[in-house]
Amino acid sequence: MTSRFDLQDALFGVFLIAVAALVFYATRTLSFGSPADMGPGFMPRALAGIAMAFGLFFAARGFSRGGEPIERPRLRPFVAVLGAIAAFALLGLKAGLAVAAVATVLVAAAGSDETRPVEAILFAIALAAASVLLFVTALALPIPAWPW
Amino acid sequence: MELFDSLFLGLQVAVEPQNLLYCLFGVLIGTAIGVLPGIGPIPTVALLLPFTFGLEPATAFIMLAGIFYGAQYGGSTTAILVNVPGETSSVVTCIDGHQMAKKGRAGHALAIAALSSFFAGTVATIVIALLAIPLAALALKFTAVEYFSLLVLGLIAAVVLAHGSVAKALAMIVLGLILGIVGIDVSSGASRMTFGIPNLADGLDFVPVAMGLFGLGEIIANLERSPERRVVAQKVGSLMPSWADLRQAFPAMARGTAIGSFLGVLPGGGAALPPFTAYALEKKFAKDPSRFGHGAIEGVAGPEAANNAGAQTSFIPLLTLGIPSNALMALMIGALMMHGIQPGPQIMTEQPALVWGLIASMWTGNLMLLVINLPMIGIWISMLKIPYRLMFPAIVLFCCIGAYGISNSMFNVWLMLGCAAIGYFFIKVGVEPAPLLLGLVLGPQLEENFRRAMLLADGDVTVFVTSPISAVILAIVALLLIAMCSPKIARKREEALVE
Repeated sequence: MTSRFDLQDALFGVFLIAVAALVFYATRTLSFGSPADMGPGFMPRALAGIAMAFGLFFAARGFSRGGEPIERPRLRPFVAVLGAIAAFALLGLKAGLAVAAVATVLVAAAGSDETRPVEAILFAIALAAASVLLFVTALALPIPAWPW
Repeated sequence: MELFDSLFLGLQVAVEPQNLLYCLFGVLIGTAIGVLPGIGPIPTVALLLPFTFGLEPATAFIMLAGIFYGAQYGGSTTAILVNVPGETSSVVTCIDGHQMAKKGRAGHALAIAALSSFFAGTVATIVIALLAIPLAALALKFTAVEYFSLLVLGLIAAVVLAHGSVAKALAMIVLGLILGIVGIDVSSGASRMTFGIPNLADGLDFVPVAMGLFGLGEIIANLERSPERRVVAQKVGSLMPSWADLRQAFPAMARGTAIGSFLGVLPGGGAALPPFTAYALEKKFAKDPSRFGHGAIEGVAGPEAANNAGAQTSFIPLLTLGIPSNALMALMIGALMMHGIQPGPQIMTEQPALVWGLIASMWTGNLMLLVINLPMIGIWISMLKIPYRLMFPAIVLFCCIGAYGISNSMFNVWLMLGCAAIGYFFIKVGVEPAPLLLGLVLGPQLEENFRRAMLLADGDVTVFVTSPISAVILAIVALLLIAMCSPKIARKREEALVE
């Protein structure tokens, strides 16, 4: 199975071009200077220029030749893992580590086809207890343990 | 003798009770994550880093290094018993190690792997000690000009020797360098690419970046694949190898150690290259190459010795020159900076207790690994039975806690989230994230040294080729790049890495 474009190359190229463009935009007000007296904008723009060149090269190569297709991405694991991290970031300080840990583990577990609900809930509670003991009690991580 | 004085100092540091304890802690964690496929030393070191801030730097590094070489030990256990490499470095051990296990000789294979690793670890410790002094003396002659060239060499060589497309790896380094720019510019005070976010003023923390790119991106990709059924070999059998086995394995051990020690020093040579090369060499040396693939004991001894020796000697560029040879060493550099130690050629003279304590601890750590590994084999086997559906949510949780812990801010957790998404994207488009991490850690030093070199030379760019040491280093860089462009060598390289 081959596809019409080398999508791996093409996508990576587009990504590089986007990053380079972002760097050019973000550093547009910084002075460039000269090699003898480099301004703060010297390095970023020099690097963005190189990244742009690489990006154009990969994009051109990717769109001009065929290649292996990319394995179809699945939404569920992606959303579950990112959602789990977001749950931790949102809950950690407000609701405490215990609640955040249970939420993180459960949301992450939802990303696997293999997960068994009861087991996951028990495991989440056990992990939350262990995390509170290890990180808050033993290692004194400055994060609240409980919502109250 | 300077060497013996230094080693003696190192041993004194290494056998302090606290250091012994943390060394044990490190090698145990290392073995555990080595045994478990799906979690490697990079996210683990990143995760534990914030919790080492309260420790003495020497103690912290002894533990972090223990995780790295402990993982090499653990990886072989999984390779032999399950035919799944616990770490990339133990891919080759699967071939003959698992065949031995199938023939009921799992115990022998495990024992030979452990003995080979111990032998290699001991020799590599001596190699590090021998090479460290002359290299550090050379490095003291370096100014910003030479240091800049050396950083370039480190970055380029790491790419050339690693696997995958060279062009993509170079692009990844550039991306890493760009990320390294984020923050307040040290010399002008201008904030660059911070997008008005105050948390970015001090630059990107590499810990959440490393955990996102290496640990979490990998988890998302793993969950997409259909779950593999693991069959754990139940019978380990007798552990003690016979004299005949030992006699057969010893030459392979010695050869593997030599190859591993050499390749480990080269940037990028760290984990994957030494065992592959050692295996190929053993096949060439064998009287009857057809035994390979059917449980040849040399096929376990050689690569296992090579990967352990390589893991340890990859510390040499870090300790003497302040240049990381692979992504994990880049993490170590970052860890040094977080402990307030400026990595670079002066580190050996300024921090002798740290450097020599670390070197000596590799030997005590290897001894511990040999002693704890074989009797504890039952525990490692039972760890292999933990299903992935339980393991991955736990890893996600610990990464979140670790990202928060690095500077007690949720901003880093959000940053890790973004990096997880990008890490997944990189896996999908088939690029290795390791060069990015090297670039991110070395970027600020590269810019700083370039700027200093330009100030020294009044903006004369030719200074890089008129200074003799720098000229030699840049000539090597040029040779490497030209060699990569030549199709013949590129093909050879591909073959060597595929084999």
